[in-house]
Amino acid sequence: MISLSKPAKYVFIGKITLRNQLAYVFDFMVRSVFLLLILYIFMQLWQSTFAGEGTSTINGYTFKQMMWYLVFTESMVLATPSLSTRIEEEVKSGDVAFKLIRPVSFLAFHYAEYMSEVAIRYAINLILGSAIGLLLVGPLPVGVGLAWLPIMAIGGFTVNFMLGMLVALSAFWVEETRGLEFVYNKILFTIGGMLMPLELFPESLQRIGQWLPFQTVVYFPARTAVGMHLGEITGAIATQWLWVVLIGLMVWLLYRKGVRKLNVNGG
Amino acid sequence: MRSIQVDRLEKIFQVKKKQEGLAGSLKSLFRPQYANKAAVEGITFTVEQGETVAFLGPNGAGKSTTIKMLTGILHPSSGTAEVLGCCPWTERSKLAYRIGSVFGQKSQLWYHLPPIDTFELMSRIYELRREDYKQRRDNLIERFELGPYLNTPVRKLSLGERMRCEIAASLIHRPQALFLDEPTIGLDAVVKQRIRELILEMNREEGTTIFLTSHDAGDVEKLCDRAIVINHGGLVFNGQVEIMKQQFLTHKTVQLVLEDDPGNLVLEGVAVLSSSGSRLTLSVDTGLTTIESVLSALMASHRIVDVTVQDPPMEDIITRMYGTFVAKEAVT
Repeated sequence: MISLSKPAKYVFIGKITLRNQLAYVFDFMVRSVFLLLILYIFMQLWQSTFAGEGTSTINGYTFKQMMWYLVFTESMVLATPSLSTRIEEEVKSGDVAFKLIRPVSFLAFHYAEYMSEVAIRYAINLILGSAIGLLLVGPLPVGVGLAWLPIMAIGGFTVNFMLGMLVALSAFWVEETRGLEFVYNKILFTIGGMLMPLELFPESLQRIGQWLPFQTVVYFPARTAVGMHLGEITGAIATQWLWVVLIGLMVWLLYRKGVRKLNVNGG
Repeated sequence: MRSIQVDRLEKIFQVKKKQEGLAGSLKSLFRPQYANKAAVEGITFTVEQGETVAFLGPNGAGKSTTIKMLTGILHPSSGTAEVLGCCPWTERSKLAYRIGSVFGQKSQLWYHLPPIDTFELMSRIYELRREDYKQRRDNLIERFELGPYLNTPVRKLSLGERMRCEIAASLIHRPQALFLDEPTIGLDAVVKQRIRELILEMNREEGTTIFLTSHDAGDVEKLCDRAIVINHGGLVFNGQVEIMKQQFLTHKTVQLVLEDDPGNLVLEGVAVLSSSGSRLTLSVDTGLTTIESVLSALMASHRIVDVTVQDPPMEDIITRMYGTFVAKEAVT
């Protein structure tokens, strides 16, 4: 009976999630309005910082680049659904059984679902974010970096999925995973470079950050999109996928261990 | 052909022991103590292909745990099981193509999308050939009379309509064995009846093994030939539903219409369930007396206009059966 290749299965799961998510488009748009607030506050902040420094660039970033950098990082971060909430809910309610009872990979199913959900939210955020960016600081000079954004965003979201899954899978052992997720999000805000590019950090912190996966999530795509580090694009993509493989392996091992000791609730 | 074979299957959960008071809570934070709780204790049974089996037991008896082991979701602590020739927990994905499942309290349909989309998804997940799928889908739509709701988002369906879609969705890949966990929960009598008919039809026509848990006596009576009853993780009954009825059927209900008001009726082994004037409903304990002696005792002093003797409903039998377990425990 096996006539469809396996990837087709997950592509379809992605498609159906996309359609299911369309019901929430309005909700996403309301969330995106939050972008306006964030960007406005940061605009005030950076304006006075640039004025204080009296230079046109800070660590290589112009004011405009800095603002668009924020548009790209915030659009990504606001597009990611909480995997912890989802997996924890599935484990607690016993819904996890549904996924285990079918011939689909639990991890691949969630990846397909996550990526298509992210795609729709990210698209909305980017459109709204760009509109706000245009309104507040004017257009970003279109460059080669922007063309790489989709590919780097896929890498970034994939690393983010793997890291999020690593946290979420602890639901197999502990009741609450949201605390861990909170910490992870704050790491992403800081040394992940969501709030400002890593170049602005002290030398030592930068060096630590380089050895961690967090920079690959939002910092890599955003800095490329605003036209920084263009010579390092291939290296950055390779780094992203190296982390995907490494963390993916950890996720897979953790999942296998988790499933063995799974306590499906409700009976 | 064997469909399900279970041999000394056992599942022991480790449960964190909660200690009393704040000090106890703090202590267990640092040095948790675990207690072993056996959910399933060495049960053994077999189910033949095409059988309809009710898997019964009070809440917490280990029913769901057993089903979860049989579908490969849980690993047992010891013992073996084979479902359609596969070991569920080591060959879970292989088995997944051949079994179906319906959990009455959980939905597998996509909430915002019409059922037809879930069917389509199932066809992809189970890797069905397009032609096979379309034929099967149309057949199920016709049988389950799903035509009118196929394109309505699931969130707008009634529970009964949704349940029919759930069952159809679980049958799309022609499973050889179907696990049903409370498939009629929350449904009205008419819909329940229809769902039972549909399940039975699939069983008869396609030889699908039906393994069902339910608290609904009607499901058991109308749907199943055999009952397997567990309590506290152990097997307490395994046999025909008819035999189960007889074994636990120690009472019969007698409805009488007399010519006159009998007043206060006192007979050994007889309890008056209700009485209004000359109409009486009695419960006769057939272990203590016989229907015959009760009737002749009554006829000696009253004239009987009408009499009907009935088995109590399945509901009462199950209640009584679970009741006996509790009584037995009290003794031992």
